[in-house]
Amino acid sequence: MRKRCDAMDQEKVIEIKNLTKMYGNNVGVKNLDLTVYKGEIMGFLGPNGAGKTTTIRSCLALIAKTAGEITIFKLDSHRDAVAIRKKTGYLPGDFGLIPSVKVSSYLKYLLSLRECDSTKKMVSLADRLELDLNRKTNELSKGNKLKAGIVQALMADQDLIIMDEPTSGLDPLVKQEFYRILREEKKQGKTVFMSSHILADVEMVCDRVAIIRKGQLKVVEEIQALQEKTGKVLEVEFGDPVTIDEFKLKGVSDIQQDNGRLTLTIHENLDGVIGAVSNHRILNMNLKTYSLEQLFLKYYAEEEEQERGDA
Amino acid sequence: MFGRIAYMELRTGWKGLLIFGLLVIIVSAGMPLIFPTYRDALTEELEGANKVNLELPNEQGGMITLSWEPLDNATSYMVLEDNRLSMLTPIPKYNGTATSITFEKDFEEKRYYAVMAVLNETSDPDLIGIATTEKGADPFQELMQNPIYAGFTGGRNISMLEAKGFITLEFFSWWWMLSGLFIAYLSVSVIASDFENKRMDMMLSTPISRRRYLLEKFSAMSVIALFIVLLAIVGLSGGLAKINALNEFSIEAVFLSLIGCLPFLMVISAVGMVTAVLFQKVRVGMGITFAFVFAEFFLYTFGNFSKSLEWMKTISIFKYWDYSSVIIDDFFKAADFILLTILAIVLLIIGIWVFKKKDIPA
Repeated sequence: MRKRCDAMDQEKVIEIKNLTKMYGNNVGVKNLDLTVYKGEIMGFLGPNGAGKTTTIRSCLALIAKTAGEITIFKLDSHRDAVAIRKKTGYLPGDFGLIPSVKVSSYLKYLLSLRECDSTKKMVSLADRLELDLNRKTNELSKGNKLKAGIVQALMADQDLIIMDEPTSGLDPLVKQEFYRILREEKKQGKTVFMSSHILADVEMVCDRVAIIRKGQLKVVEEIQALQEKTGKVLEVEFGDPVTIDEFKLKGVSDIQQDNGRLTLTIHENLDGVIGAVSNHRILNMNLKTYSLEQLFLKYYAEEEEQERGDA
Repeated sequence: MFGRIAYMELRTGWKGLLIFGLLVIIVSAGMPLIFPTYRDALTEELEGANKVNLELPNEQGGMITLSWEPLDNATSYMVLEDNRLSMLTPIPKYNGTATSITFEKDFEEKRYYAVMAVLNETSDPDLIGIATTEKGADPFQELMQNPIYAGFTGGRNISMLEAKGFITLEFFSWWWMLSGLFIAYLSVSVIASDFENKRMDMMLSTPISRRRYLLEKFSAMSVIALFIVLLAIVGLSGGLAKINALNEFSIEAVFLSLIGCLPFLMVISAVGMVTAVLFQKVRVGMGITFAFVFAEFFLYTFGNFSKSLEWMKTISIFKYWDYSSVIIDDFFKAADFILLTILAIVLLIIGIWVFKKKDIPA
């Protein structure tokens, strides 16, 4: 783990320093510092309205900064915006397409704006995400429109891929394929910066996550460290009697029992817990990731309290 | 700067453009075609002016006698009086079955009398003729001096009995509105709808600068403006050829009078683009751009009302597209053409500057 971090230190793809964006008197983001390294998949987590989209759109110079500095590929985000965009693919959080043209025509149009002639990647991505390129843009469902957006962000073989909520609205199967595609991109040395408001959506694929709340960056952490810290919630319904003591194992906390139903949080030692569970007859089992809100309540509430005290 | 964005604009908008182009052809060719019918009807009406006899008193304060020939199917007669140049809001003077009236001349100024025959309850009255208290005057010639008409003619003496005059007044007075509002609508919507339909993020995530985006949209508008102007040139020349009027109204005049409106349209287009990037809403941009076009028109019209209001004309773009100068005086004002072109470019630069400053709404 450490080794990889050192290697990443060599090349910063996105470097955000002290970014502040005000909308009148409202804070979009405040004093945000964030670095994304070459070859990593960085998840950008936060509840709705936390400032994820504001940060992302500042990187792409779609909005002006109030203060701070953003450097992408060692270029100034706003002064050299066009040069940066040559190497960057972007999926907006909310977008429309030119109506009444074929999806393929629209994507080819965007390719041509990027001066990219090859449609090979576009076709293969559409194929993998099960997007019909012969449909008209205005006939697409919400999910298919999102797929078209994902394809356009990746199709010109960009070095940096910035995506705003790419997973909200994708079918589970398509989502898995999407993760595979991102992992392949990463293998080719591409850098991915993607936002989400669902922890479970980013932990499948991201190397690190940055968590933003109320315009301020709270945590930047390796996904594994975060997972160990937060753990997973296991719910099991047993067909025979069990005692809590059986599950007082290493890396397990918050054990609760309600008749035949057992709930516990696993931080590590997953196989040990599963071993203990398998000693009994299992009626039903469910392993869940903490939601972002639960995560905050459980691990960052202290900080919140302090802030409230300050205010 | 014509590139892929401009091309895409034409590709997705060609259907609407085709329908509008058809309308342009129909009206520009149809206008000359109805001219002979109009001329005949007007000639008949002018002759009708003599069917009303007006006897003036020798001294001030005497009696005026107005008499006219009876009309077979008339149930009664109506006389309208107007002392203004406009003849647009006359006052009823008489209503009855007699074919002459006598009244006292207790005024100094020139007055007009229109005699109408009422046929039945349902149809409009027929004009029998017009008489004025000054001999030898042609009421229709005077009508042209009305400020409202003068606004179109630049105060020139225009005869509606000639194709030149008819086209100048009838064709061009709607052409500016039709073409101007069409370009205003398109210029605002091609940009503001990209904002409203959230296409701007994706567009501006490609290596397209905001300047290039705006320039390409503007060039698409220029091509569309050229297209409808060329259609109007074809339609108008075709119509004029059909009625054999090309000897008095040359193709060259058709061409120059219509080409003259290109920079006029491009100024409107640039105003539309500035409002579109400033307000980012189709309706707001459209409202302001339409208001601009009409305000400019009224400035020009008011500027023609009197010498003291003439300054209003100089700040109206209508002054710098003087089609009647080409048609009536055979003179193309190239300096005005260049002036409007420069104005369009300046407005476009302002639009680019504003666009660069503004946040794209999420």
